Amino acid sequence: MSLARRAAGKRLPWIIKYRPRTVDEVVNQEEAKRILSAWFAAWARGKPPSKRAALLYGPPGVGKTSLVEAYANQHGFEVIELNASDYRSAQAIRRVVGTAAFKKPLFGKGVVILLDEIDGIAPREDAGGLQELIRIIPQTLNPIVMTANDPWKDQLRPLRDLCLLVPFKPLSKTHIMAVLERICERERLYCEKQALRLIAELSQGDLRAAINDLQAIAEGYGRVTYDLARAILRGREKRVDIWRTLNMIFYAKAAWMAKKAVTQSEEDYETLIAWLNDNVPRKYAEPSDLHRAFDALSRATVFLFRAKYRTHWSLLSYVFDLIGPGVAFARREGAILKSKYSYPDRIKMMASLREVRRIRDQIAEKLAPRLGVSKATFKAEILPILFIIFRNSPSPIMAARLSLGYGLTREEVKFLAGPRADEILKLAEKIRRARKVEPQEQAAGASAEKKEKRRRRSRKKAPGTTLDEFFG
Amino acid sequence: MSSALELLWVEKYRPKTLDEIVNQEEVVKRLKMFVKAKNMPHLLFAGPAGTGKTTAAHALARELYGEYYRQYVLELNASDERGIGVIREKVKEFARSRTPPDIPFKIIILDEADNMTADAQQALRRLMELYSAQTRFILIANYPSKIIDPIQSRCAFFRFQPLKKEDVVARLKYIAENEGVEYDPKALETIYEISQGDMRKAINILQAAAALGKVTVDAVYKVVGLAKPKEVREMIMTALRGDFDQARTFMRKLMIEYGLSGEDLVKQIHREIFSNEVKIPEEARVLIADYVGEIHYRLVEGSDDDIQLSALLAWLSMLGRKLGVE
Repeated sequence: MSLARRAAGKRLPWIIKYRPRTVDEVVNQEEAKRILSAWFAAWARGKPPSKRAALLYGPPGVGKTSLVEAYANQHGFEVIELNASDYRSAQAIRRVVGTAAFKKPLFGKGVVILLDEIDGIAPREDAGGLQELIRIIPQTLNPIVMTANDPWKDQLRPLRDLCLLVPFKPLSKTHIMAVLERICERERLYCEKQALRLIAELSQGDLRAAINDLQAIAEGYGRVTYDLARAILRGREKRVDIWRTLNMIFYAKAAWMAKKAVTQSEEDYETLIAWLNDNVPRKYAEPSDLHRAFDALSRATVFLFRAKYRTHWSLLSYVFDLIGPGVAFARREGAILKSKYSYPDRIKMMASLREVRRIRDQIAEKLAPRLGVSKATFKAEILPILFIIFRNSPSPIMAARLSLGYGLTREEVKFLAGPRADEILKLAEKIRRARKVEPQEQAAGASAEKKEKRRRRSRKKAPGTTLDEFFG
Repeated sequence: MSSALELLWVEKYRPKTLDEIVNQEEVVKRLKMFVKAKNMPHLLFAGPAGTGKTTAAHALARELYGEYYRQYVLELNASDERGIGVIREKVKEFARSRTPPDIPFKIIILDEADNMTADAQQALRRLMELYSAQTRFILIANYPSKIIDPIQSRCAFFRFQPLKKEDVVARLKYIAENEGVEYDPKALETIYEISQGDMRKAINILQAAAALGKVTVDAVYKVVGLAKPKEVREMIMTALRGDFDQARTFMRKLMIEYGLSGEDLVKQIHREIFSNEVKIPEEARVLIADYVGEIHYRLVEGSDDDIQLSALLAWLSMLGRKLGVE
């Protein structure tokens, strides 16, 4: 609404005026474009993809919202947009998103639901809203797109599992400069290249901030020179980003420096631990150094757990000691390596881990009662046998027949068989078809089954946890 | 739906009647008397794994209630239920359900009862008393000494013997022939040697060996080897050789491919370090066990799997350097 009012005025903010109108105009996010376009294309074909919501994440000002709007603009989608302040309660979500989610496209014009800053949702106060979203997403008839700076917050976990995750990276200095130059041309503005470079540098990959800075200087002074830029932007507060935090830890000369790096970092300690977990081996190679560093991280997580779950928050201080100085001064013997830092892939790994564990539990739940063993015994004793049958047998026949015998789902077969899954699934399908051709056996089986089902239904609520699974 | 298709042989060849249960003559004789009398006290079945305890409980129920016995049976597994509270709720609900026409009680089978804490067992004892009018409990345990005395004294005690070699081999032979599996008779004896008197384990090994082709002695040993992911040992050895990065890659692969939890993996490592295949000085095994225990403790404390195991691998690579592992 403030947007419309401002647009009516003369001085349109440049971030609105130069907002990308086509997907091509969104710069430097090729991977995100590719993922998102494929996803939208599935919707456009009238076939909702398996994940019906997408979560675009990355630092501010890198084009998350712009990309969605550009896409909608180009393909004639209607965008129904909410931002953080709009969707506090379950009721609000139900009213706006719930309605839009089940709206039939009008005259073939599609609808995109865009929820900005989903990580702004408060864990407790807005829990109802999140719950409501989680309920709506699997059923929505229209694509739901959310944006977040930090998608790894705990409260977003259930939501994350339902979403296609689309990463956006900070924009490169060159790309930001290119955009700034274009604006200068269009505004017929005198701009020094050096000034644009400084603006781009200070923006740390945030194009929105860079454009705002450019406009601030241009509107105040009618031109953009290096001296002006330096004078005006100098006071801007520098955040200690993750890269600098890591440097300050790994190259600390004194314990207090390493600790300060942790406490001043813009990242929270859990994120920081994840980064260190993946980057310690990139900086240290000597086994004893590695050991000391990981032992410090390991103990840090123990303290963190105690601080969190027993709410002894004063213990946090020791967490900082261990992840800062603990890692910094673990290196006593080896030299420090020159390798670059990498983004932690652990978080992605945790998601796939949760997924396989879910499938494993599901198989245990299905089979253990039939074999008369506990789920724990199933996992320890029977599962290895199944792995051999599914992965090591020269012929897929036994695995295929077992899959049919236990009604294993695709994902369960995939878990058990790994790379051989396709072969087994194909054969199982073939056997299933062949069996259909033998109507006698089928009919006999079916009628017996029906009889039993009827009989069972007539007894209200049969007790026994395994009954359903046994006959089901 | 499933009968015509393949099942795991442990399920397919599970005895349905008391008469089919081998090598537990004494037990079977006494259980049959309960069937005849259509009455029984609470029972406690004790004995090693794979000797037919759970099977006997089901067979008994089937003979008491007939083919659709499952509706009169509540089957619980102490290791899977989350606490005595959940068990209490399920028992309460079940006790209220309808009773069979001509037998005045229903049966609750509580498997792995020896995994319950003493406190939970006390609560269980009260449950047994509270619902004794409508229900009978069959408690199943590997180690009867872990069952508290007040429960033991309320139950008729049945001890299940480990199966004899000839019984296991005869059963394996019967299954192999019925399934049309080619086998080397010596291989069946090898299976017995490995599984001892545990019929479930024996049948599982037979089926996995059959999946590999002809059941030979070699195939049997191959199954035993495959049953432990070889990456566990590779991971340990790689760490000991000082290649932390590669060891961590193995660790993550194991967790993702097999869905193992940090605790599963720690337990496997613990087992593996006492294996002869891991060539390190004997005193180093003790050292490692000590640190593995520490890491296990930290995991139980609830902290991050990946970091705890990384710490363990980093420590192993330091130790390997000291020991000069090649």
